[in-house]
Amino acid sequence: MSDHVNGAAEGTVANKVPVTITVNGRTHRADCEPRTTLADFLREDLGYTGVHLGCEHGVCGACTVQLDGSTARSCCMLAVQADGSEVTTVEGLAEDGQLHPLQEAFWNRHGLQCGFCTPGMLMTACELLADNPDPSAEEIREGISGNLCRCTGYQFIVESIQEAAPKMRPAT
Amino acid sequence: MAEQSAAGLIGARVRRQEDPRLLTGRAQFVDDVRLPGMLNAAVLRSPVPHARIVRIDVSRALAHPGVYAVVTGDEVRAAVATPQPVIWRMIPDQRMTDGYPLAVGKARYVGQGIAAVAATDRATAEDALELIDVEYDELPAVTTLEEALAEDAPKLYDEWPDNVSCRATIPKGDVEAAFAEADVVVRETFRFARQMGTPLETRGVVATWDPFTDRLDVWLSTQSPNLARDLFGEVLDVSVDKIRVRVPDVGGGFGNKFDFYGEEVVAAILSKRTGRPVKLIEDRLESFVANAHSREQKVEVELAATSDGRITGLRGTVYAVLGGQLATVGIGPCWLTAALMSGPYDIANVEASVVGVVTNRSPYGSYRGWGQPKSNFAHERMVDLLARRLDMDPLDVRRKNLIPADAFPYASPVFFYDGGRYDECLGLATDAVRDRGWLRRRDEARGSGRTVGIGYSFHVEITALGPSRIMNMAGLQHSAFDEEVVRIDSSGRVTVYTGQTALGQGIQTALAQVAAEQLGVPLDDVTVVVGDTDTCPYTGYGTGASRAASLGGGAVLTASKRLKEKVLRIAGGMLEAAPEDLVVADGRISVVGVPDRSVSMAEIGDAAYRRINGRLPEDEVPTLEEREVFDPPNVAFSYGCTAVLADVDRETGEVRLLDYLIAHDCGTVINPLIVDGQLHGGAAQAIGGALYEELVYGPDGQIQTTTFMDYLMPTASEIPAFELLHMETPAEHIPGGFKGMGEGGTIGGAAAIAGAVDDALADLGVATVALPITPPRLLAAMRNGQVQA
Repeated sequence: MSDHVNGAAEGTVANKVPVTITVNGRTHRADCEPRTTLADFLREDLGYTGVHLGCEHGVCGACTVQLDGSTARSCCMLAVQADGSEVTTVEGLAEDGQLHPLQEAFWNRHGLQCGFCTPGMLMTACELLADNPDPSAEEIREGISGNLCRCTGYQFIVESIQEAAPKMRPAT
Repeated sequence: MAEQSAAGLIGARVRRQEDPRLLTGRAQFVDDVRLPGMLNAAVLRSPVPHARIVRIDVSRALAHPGVYAVVTGDEVRAAVATPQPVIWRMIPDQRMTDGYPLAVGKARYVGQGIAAVAATDRATAEDALELIDVEYDELPAVTTLEEALAEDAPKLYDEWPDNVSCRATIPKGDVEAAFAEADVVVRETFRFARQMGTPLETRGVVATWDPFTDRLDVWLSTQSPNLARDLFGEVLDVSVDKIRVRVPDVGGGFGNKFDFYGEEVVAAILSKRTGRPVKLIEDRLESFVANAHSREQKVEVELAATSDGRITGLRGTVYAVLGGQLATVGIGPCWLTAALMSGPYDIANVEASVVGVVTNRSPYGSYRGWGQPKSNFAHERMVDLLARRLDMDPLDVRRKNLIPADAFPYASPVFFYDGGRYDECLGLATDAVRDRGWLRRRDEARGSGRTVGIGYSFHVEITALGPSRIMNMAGLQHSAFDEEVVRIDSSGRVTVYTGQTALGQGIQTALAQVAAEQLGVPLDDVTVVVGDTDTCPYTGYGTGASRAASLGGGAVLTASKRLKEKVLRIAGGMLEAAPEDLVVADGRISVVGVPDRSVSMAEIGDAAYRRINGRLPEDEVPTLEEREVFDPPNVAFSYGCTAVLADVDRETGEVRLLDYLIAHDCGTVINPLIVDGQLHGGAAQAIGGALYEELVYGPDGQIQTTTFMDYLMPTASEIPAFELLHMETPAEHIPGGFKGMGEGGTIGGAAAIAGAVDDALADLGVATVALPITPPRLLAAMRNGQVQA
């Protein structure tokens, strides 16, 4: 089941191109094939294995990262497209050994089982709460409906995001 | 929540030990395993459903830069000692398909492996697949059950008389007489679409088979590492001591990762051939054809009953729409559909048959529920239809026929049901429906022109699979006991070593809770080690069949009890007190009534491992470790009742679930948080199976659903909030009273949803007899009265 179509099939070696990306505050410079996806680049070349690949066609959301402040499906873009960008992955959420409020809430509320969808779910929830600091359960369900979870049935994810919301609201 | 006192830990709603790694991106799934010199593999898959393989030319692929090895089906055939094992062989004269890891001679389904490449990276391996030339001599494909059973059907296996792999009948009582004497007979045929477990992490393996030492070291995303190790040994003719199977974090299993797949063998062979570790990760596209499919059956059922709704007989035939070859579990799941066809009902005369039929589709394997969602749908729908025929309330028909609490242990056609309070559980659900005003909501909705209905189902769930000898007699070519090791180390901390596998179901936390409570130590003092056949004990079967918490919990409990006795004997010596005068709490052992005469678990650990002289009693051996093998005397049946409030859109045929509750009994609950999560997740899969998910094959034998755009797993927008109601009836034959519950949510959902749809459309006389209930099917049903395949 070949996804990749490339001149390399005829025995040519693809030219590598340099890419510079800042991930979780650290700037990386590496050479990669133009066909390399951002997800593969983050996972294979830079070691951010918290980025998970569940479908590689942009539906499941497990590979969701923040790219220059907005969520993006890292499986559906090329690393070269992210040249010069700032990326946050799940590894960048906890700071100074302290879990992010969303991570803490997912832990308290059993918002994860196998944990495979969790990095993408957390990144999506971060953006959701930034856009809507006090969402209803229905708004949360809508907001995470682009992230598939096969384990939890979503209810405890919704409760986790509800629990985290007040802790993430800026003090007034 | 960090420090949990040990007393009352069994039953405590504590958060999971597993989570911090998973939440911070520090987990290690199989695709995260990277070994020095590792190659990546890819599999060339058949583009046609049925063909003779005339010729395979791999020379161009082999010459491609970065390619290390290419293997074909014939080469793999020559490298293995046996065909792919089928462990469930409950029908002795079944025709076996004797398939190999890659196709040999013939391809029998789209997606069957034909050849495989190992290269520097996955992209290069996929490039090389395009350079393999295969000549297929296409044969007519058998794409449906009806085509497979047709008189002049093309045969998948030339040496068979037809496409039937097996037939068997499971009898109880005198069914002929029951039907002859019945006041009413209700007949129906149910159809179930193909579906699959679809864990979000696809399957994968990293194999290192050292050509000099013959040691095979495998990282495998599996539910059954001990089984895999034994089957690697059989297939590759390697002694088991040389094989190590390690299981990294597993991104969901749901049965799909129970089976032993050909790709695992292929990766090992490629490793031996190249002298390097070989990683083979299935992509999503492949997973839709290379993962075991499930659920697809036609089930014919008839009920005999008295005019007041007492069921006197049940007769049924399960047509298993098997694929092009048998998966590891063979006819197992479909046999179980037949074996549990009478479900929770006390029916004196039952005769259920299973007919296994091969087709040019992907193999049929394990998926959560394992045959039971179909038996449940059949008996629950039949109860609803009987009630309709007799103009009775379906709940009254259920009450009249549920196995009464004083009838346990109850002999069903195959299994002994251990115990339960079925009627009470049904009452729990119906009371909740009443108290939450569902009837009023339904009637008000109807008053305002909407179409709302209420449906119920009652399910039984076989759990705690064992005992080994009886399962062997039933045809299982493997054991079903569980072994657990509980160790206190020199610092007084506890480690549990288990052969069960962590799939996200929280088994580490659950076993830690059992050990901590028994030993009297804080929960944080217990570590549970999983996923390594070199260091963890042997569990029969694997982590499936809702076994882990029940059998593993029972064994940990017994081992911990014995270990505590030794702790008390050592402490007694140190405190100059009799062991029976000691209590353990929060990791300290003290004399009853004299709390300052105490020693810590750390001091006991030190006395047992390091500074022994004068502290460890002369008649005690050093170390603190107990090992318990638990082969249960019987399986344990959990049960529950699902109620659904659903809204049907008569314009679009869309079903929306407004409310959903499950009353449930799985014996002693170890961690209610985990149990709730399992029920939620199971119910979501039931909903997906009832309304959305379908692996569709075209008339040409091509699968048409190979992305998440076509195979519709439910999102948070489709899934309602769940309410759970618990009862606890401890299993008398399991230490701790734990029953399993991993599959309960999945079994009963579809029948309750179908019941709600029928209730909503009662004015049209709709009878839902096929899954999933997609909008086109439901619109057709509104026209002709029946939801059909």
